[in-house]
This record gives sequence, C-alpha cells and structure tokens, in this order.
Amino acid sequence: MEAAHAHGHGDHAHHPAGIMRWIQTTNHKDIGTLYLWFSFTMFIVGGVLALMLRMELFQPGMQVWQPEFFNQLTTMHGLIMVFGAIMPAFVGFANWQIPMMIGAPDMAFARMNNWSFWLLPPAAILLVTSFFVPGGATAAGWTIYAPLSTQMGPGMDLAIFALHIMGASSIMGSINIVTTILNMRAPGMTMMKMPLFVWTWLITAYLLIAVMPVLAGAVTMLLTDRHFGTNFFNAAGGGDPVMFQHIFWFFGHPEVYIMILPAFGIVSQIVPTFARKPLFGYSSMVYATSSIAILSFIVWAHHMFTVGMPAQAQLFFMYATMLIAVPTGVKVFNWIATMWKGSMTFETPMLWACGFIFVFSMGGFTGLVLAITPVDIQLQDTYYVVAHFHYVLVAGSLFAIFGGTYYWIPKWTGHMYDEALGKWHFWLSMIFFNVTFFPMHFSGLAGMPRRIPDYALQFADFNMLSTVGAFGFGLAQLLFLWAVLKCIRGGKKATDQTWEGAEGLEWTLPSPPPYHTFETPPVVK
Amino acid sequence: MKCVTAGEAARFACTARRNNSLSSSGRLLVFGFVFAVCMGIALAFTVLLGAWMILPFAGAEMLVLYLAFHHVGRHAADYERIAMEGDSLAIEVRDGGHVRRFSLNRQWAQVVCAGDGSRLALRSHGRELEIGIHMNGEQRLALGSALKRELKRELRSIG
Repeated sequence: MEAAHAHGHGDHAHHPAGIMRWIQTTNHKDIGTLYLWFSFTMFIVGGVLALMLRMELFQPGMQVWQPEFFNQLTTMHGLIMVFGAIMPAFVGFANWQIPMMIGAPDMAFARMNNWSFWLLPPAAILLVTSFFVPGGATAAGWTIYAPLSTQMGPGMDLAIFALHIMGASSIMGSINIVTTILNMRAPGMTMMKMPLFVWTWLITAYLLIAVMPVLAGAVTMLLTDRHFGTNFFNAAGGGDPVMFQHIFWFFGHPEVYIMILPAFGIVSQIVPTFARKPLFGYSSMVYATSSIAILSFIVWAHHMFTVGMPAQAQLFFMYATMLIAVPTGVKVFNWIATMWKGSMTFETPMLWACGFIFVFSMGGFTGLVLAITPVDIQLQDTYYVVAHFHYVLVAGSLFAIFGGTYYWIPKWTGHMYDEALGKWHFWLSMIFFNVTFFPMHFSGLAGMPRRIPDYALQFADFNMLSTVGAFGFGLAQLLFLWAVLKCIRGGKKATDQTWEGAEGLEWTLPSPPPYHTFETPPVVK
Repeated sequence: MKCVTAGEAARFACTARRNNSLSSSGRLLVFGFVFAVCMGIALAFTVLLGAWMILPFAGAEMLVLYLAFHHVGRHAADYERIAMEGDSLAIEVRDGGHVRRFSLNRQWAQVVCAGDGSRLALRSHGRELEIGIHMNGEQRLALGSALKRELKRELRSIG
C-alpha cells in the first residue's frame, strides 16, 4: 500500500509563504490578486501619461513637450490602458471569482495560469522602457497603423514584442477560463444557472481565442515588413497599407467588447444584490451578450469609413453597427427593470453600477451617432471620438472594475471597506470624469483633431476644463488606493454573505475564503 | 458516488467519479466550433487578402486548445472503486491513464474519518491510504459509515 497523503482535504491553512508564494503560486486567488495589483500599477502608469498629455493641452500652443514625444505619450497611454490595465483587471476578477462562483477548486490549468500572469510584467517592462530607446517609444497610436508603424525606431519593435507576449498571455488565460467554466461546474449548475459574470467571461474568452491570432499575425507582418523585406503593407512593393487597418480592426472591434462584456457581468451581479431582486430577464441577458459578441465580428469597417469603400459596404457596416444597440438596449432595460420596485440601497458598489449604467449609456448613444456613415466621416479623428470611447471604456469598463472591487473586496479580505471613502471616490470620479470628457464632445463637434499637441484658440476653454477635470479624476483615484489598503489592513469584519441581497456560491464561503475552496464540489439545487 | 451492498462479484462496492460538467461529445462540439471559427478566420485572411501569417498563430492556438481538451479528456474517466471481495478490501484508483490497485486484508483494515468529512482514509499495518478524493464531505461521511458497518459485520460473522 502506498504511503498516506501528506495533507487532508480540509487542510486549508497550508500555503507557501514569502516572495516565492507569489512567484510560484498556482492558486487562483493569489493569481487573481497579482493580476489586480498589476492592473492597478499599469493604471497609474497609463494615468500619469494621460496627465502629461493633458498638461500639454491645458493651453493652446506648445507648452511642455515636443510633438514627437506627445505622440509617444498618446500611443503608450492607449496601449498601456487597454492591454496593461483594463484587460488584466478583468482577468484578475475572473481568477478570483469564477472558481468560487461555479464551485470549482481552482482553474483547470493552474500552472498555465501562473505563466499567463508572469508573462505580463516582462511585456509591461518592454512597453515602458521603450521610452528610453533611440527614437523613443512608438508614436503610431494604439492602432499602430502602417505605413507609419513600419517606419519607426526600435521602440516599435519593443511594442510588437510586448503585444505578442500579452497576446500569448491572453490566449492561455482564455483557454483556461473556457475549460474551467465548461468542465468544472458543480453538479447541478447547468449553463443557464451560471452567474451572469461567468457567462460574460465565457463569451469574452471565446472572443479572445478568435481574435488574438489575428493581432499576432498583424504585428508579425509589421515586424517582417520592418526587418525582413516583406511587403505586406508597403504599396511600393505591391502591398496594401489599408489591409493593415482591416486586419487590425477585425481584431480591434471584438477587443472593444472583450473590455466591456465582463463589465456587463459585474454590473449584472451588483444590481440584483442591491435591488434585492433576482436579475430581470436572465436568459435574455445571456442571449444579448452572445448577440453582441457575434455582431462584433461584422462591424469592424465602421472604424474605416473615411478610408474609402463602396456605398453598399458603408451601408452594411453602418446598419450592422446600429444593430448592436438592440442587445445593448436589452441589457440596460433589464438592469433598470431589476431595480424597478426593488428594495434598493446605494452602497458604494451600487453607486458605481448606477453610474456605469447612466454614463455608459451616454457612450453608447454617441457610438450610435458615430455609426452613421456621413456623420462619422465628419467626426472621424476628432475629440468627439475620444469622448465616445472614454465614456465607454472609463465610465464603462473602469467604473465596473471599481464597482466589482468594492462589491467583492469584503469577501477577498474579510473586512468591510470604508463606506465614506468609497462614496467620496465614486462621486469625485463621476464629477471629474464628466468634467474631463463631456467638453470633448463639443470640441470634437467643432472640429478639434485628436492626437495633435496644439490647437486653435477657439478650443481653449474646453481644453482647460478637460485638463482640470483630468487632474481631479487622477487625484480621486488615490482615494481608491487608500480605501483598498485600509480594507486589507483591517476594518469591520465582513460576514460570509456580506450583502443582504447577495446570492451565489461565493457568498456561502467564509470571508475571507480559505486558501483552498470547493475541493469537492458543492451540489447546486 | 454509486454504492451497492449486495452485488454478484462483491459484497460491497462503491465507485466515485470526478466531477465533469462537460461530456466528451460536448468537448468535441466545443473544440470543433472554436476550430472552425478560428481557422475559418485565418483562412479567409490568407485566401482573400494574402495575410497568411495569421494562419500559423491560429494553428498554434488550436494546438494548445487541443492539448488542453486532451488533458481534460484523459482525466474525465478518473474514478475510485472500493470493493469487498473475498478476504480483501480492494481499492482501484484511475488517474489519467494510470490505474493503481491496492489490496487490504479486511480483518485488519480500519476506517479513519474526520468528523466533518474533510478526510477519509483506510488504515492497515500503520499506513494509510486516503480515499474519497472525488467526494464531498457528506459523501465521505456516508462512505465512512458504510465501510465501518460492513467491516464490523464481517468481524461479527467471523466471531
């Protein structure tokens, strides 16, 4: 007979300690924590770059930076926020929550999970240090359009390598998430009983698997055009620079939904909890999410209306884009219907969720405006577009990330956060966000182009207001750091259920949950 | 967990399988769908635009997905079977492709069960074999009681 196992199933206290715990960990909770801290660090870095941009734009004329450096700041702000802050934050939530929500002991491939995370810091280092190589960081915009991107210095190569590494990390993470959700659900948890957050992440993971090879192929073709004499995007050699835009946006538009679908999931968890009612229209939420994901593959050319395309193609992409408003509208309707006649309270997570619904809907409406081809041709590359995607990505993705953090941090740490701090953080963020980005609609409608360090005098007031708002928004985020650190260090003990209206397997666990949870699956009735 | 106490081949037999919420046909369906979508996209870019460099990345990704699903499939049939056959208490454990068999003299075997069902083991000659890996606490407690009952009955019949 073989020797007995060293530890019993219930030996929750045992886990490695010190720095090696974090480097070698295969525990989903540890890896979730690593993702979230990494994401916050990159959020601060990307935020500082944004404030450097706003410094320059405070007044017309060249104030602080050289135009070349301004373009580098614009590009790196976009790349860092998309690939370093928003995406890893949602993967952090997925790591913490998915196993606990479906009654699984961990992610399906725990070691691969560790690799997925530890690929990110080297990629981030490549991105950030590219500022210090000859010629500086890439300045081609986060979309790295050819032929601009085929002509830049080594900073562009570093960005390409960073994108490759982050892409590999995303693919491994997605495969892990798909396998975990499909194969490790607790007995009785059918697909249509899964929490909405799990559903949205399953669909997001499919999107990632579908589009990441497209990005990898695109940046590899850029690399070979730059260094190995190929002519994929070089018109002089028989290539086509517009092809890069088609390939990039075939990846890029689903990428937009990769950054918002998990946010929908978080809001769909928060709203029923604080309305003390089950989510209205659960199945329609699932179908709406799937519809948005499917439609995301057939709308990419709305980013390219000014490039030139047949009128039939313009019509197709315009109507397909407008069609996305239908499932998105279903979601907004369902959240509001969930609140209808609910016993609502407005703790910090609910404030963020309500803020999300309100401000994200405004971003959705400006998206509809931009979907109309003749309007888009007027507004292409103006600050109206900048306002639109910040309403979607900051007020959408980021607000949901904050809401999700306040919602689940009592479970993660075992302590309640400081409610007053959380509320201050929300209201300051909400006010300064709108002070920053709402004027951009007007400057955009008046014709102010994006990615330009100088502007005509007529835009001065709006830009001054945006800069004041940006610094206010940036400073407000320090309150978030304070609230999180305070919560980690102590505070009122959180109960297992934490919120009166919370439902789901994660709330059956102690707060904080033991290092290993659901080693044997619970039965869902 | 499936236990029988009056089988033909064994007086007591219990089989516990790991939790798989995805069937093998479901696995095939999911893989087929993802494969068709990813390779379809890569082939479309290759054929229509000449962007063939997407193809190897899509292929590599599908290989990783295949390996992941293959690993899941290998462990899908994992089980643990405990049976009283003649004088022995036989334990058979399948883990991946490997099947390990242990045999204990049932007159010497003892059941060790934590009060909360967090751990269940069989002890004999100073060594322990942990069982009930695929079970939850309640199921371990039930199996522990059933095994104790069966072993006690055996001892009574000898006495």
